[in-house]
Amino acid sequence: MSFELLFLTSIIAGFVGSMSGMGGGIILIPVLTFLGMDIKHAIAISIVSVIATSSGSASAYVRDRITNLKVGMFLEMFTIIGAWVGAAITLVSGKRPLFVLFGIVLLASWVTLFKQRRESWTPVAHQDRLSQWLELEGSYYDQPMGQTLQYRGGRAYLGGPLMFGAGVIAGLLGIGAGALKVLIHDLVMGLPPKVSTTTSNLIIGVTALSGTSVYLVAGFISPGLAAPVILGVLLGAFIGTRLLVRLTNQTVRHFFLVVLFVLGVEMIVRGIVGV
Amino acid sequence: MRLIHHGMKTRTTAHLSMEILIGYILLVGVLLSTILLIIGLAWHWARTGHLRFEYPIVGMNLFEFISLDVRQIVSGPFRPMLIVNLGIAVVMFTPYIRVLASMLYFAWVERNQKYTLFTGFVLTALTYSLFLR
Repeated sequence: MSFELLFLTSIIAGFVGSMSGMGGGIILIPVLTFLGMDIKHAIAISIVSVIATSSGSASAYVRDRITNLKVGMFLEMFTIIGAWVGAAITLVSGKRPLFVLFGIVLLASWVTLFKQRRESWTPVAHQDRLSQWLELEGSYYDQPMGQTLQYRGGRAYLGGPLMFGAGVIAGLLGIGAGALKVLIHDLVMGLPPKVSTTTSNLIIGVTALSGTSVYLVAGFISPGLAAPVILGVLLGAFIGTRLLVRLTNQTVRHFFLVVLFVLGVEMIVRGIVGV
Repeated sequence: MRLIHHGMKTRTTAHLSMEILIGYILLVGVLLSTILLIIGLAWHWARTGHLRFEYPIVGMNLFEFISLDVRQIVSGPFRPMLIVNLGIAVVMFTPYIRVLASMLYFAWVERNQKYTLFTGFVLTALTYSLFLR
């Protein structure tokens, strides 16, 4: 695969990924396999670029003090082990199940994007003892509301094991699995939407690193291919975040929905019919 | 080198908040890796006239990958490929340094035993998987 094609594909993946909030990998991997790359190599290269995009976006959110570091660092314990397990499964797995599973995750993302996440938030009324012991609480300055928002996180006993599952998906498929992590923060632990997304962003970095370590030792990461992908995805994500402020257009959303749906169905069909 | 640097940074700037410290570690990591990758690729392009990199993938862990790269930089002719390798190593090392710095911060500045233990666990697991063969 030529450098130019790889670079261009990665820019588009990073751009679409950050605009839709899905991350670069979910677009990158199907397109790379479509262009003829082996799915395991595509997964391994994608997960390295996930580290870079996570570091890039998390750096800003952390300094803005929206990310909850304690929540992140508690949940990381579960996701890194999950990612390690997931990547190990990919190494021994056949290629066709990976296509099918990727297609299913794509369509699941499609559903969450289609239903459009509610921005309302119900605070945790009674914090359980474990979450209290874990000091899962915080506050941040909410710009649109113009006030500091106090919040508490709950149900850590459920959030932890579920994050292990999110880690498995991330390591297995070479994606950030951010949408899944946000859902766990949001629905299970009762964190405000902004804290959910930014904390998930931070966790994605170490989770992807854990998966990467497995792929590196297995010899699946070629620096010559990883370099243009990292640069491309970073550039695409950078342009995407800049534009996101101005573009909350319905046309754009519909475009993403069609793209995700087509990619999801295509991956499942390829998994069933054979590559 | 970066590792020692950030360790010292944690100690000397104890008044800094953890958010600022972590935010800048991540930012520096991303910028440094981007610069290294661009320099490596541009140099390769200037020498060969194309951007295609073809070299065999060798299965090794991150520490072996870095030590081999540094040894080649020191001993042999300074090739663009080595700069690209270094850029990728920085990408991978950035979250690792972030976890290390968080652990030191929890241990020395916040004196929070619980979270020193949690980040210590993450650091140990990552170190183990990065040393793994």
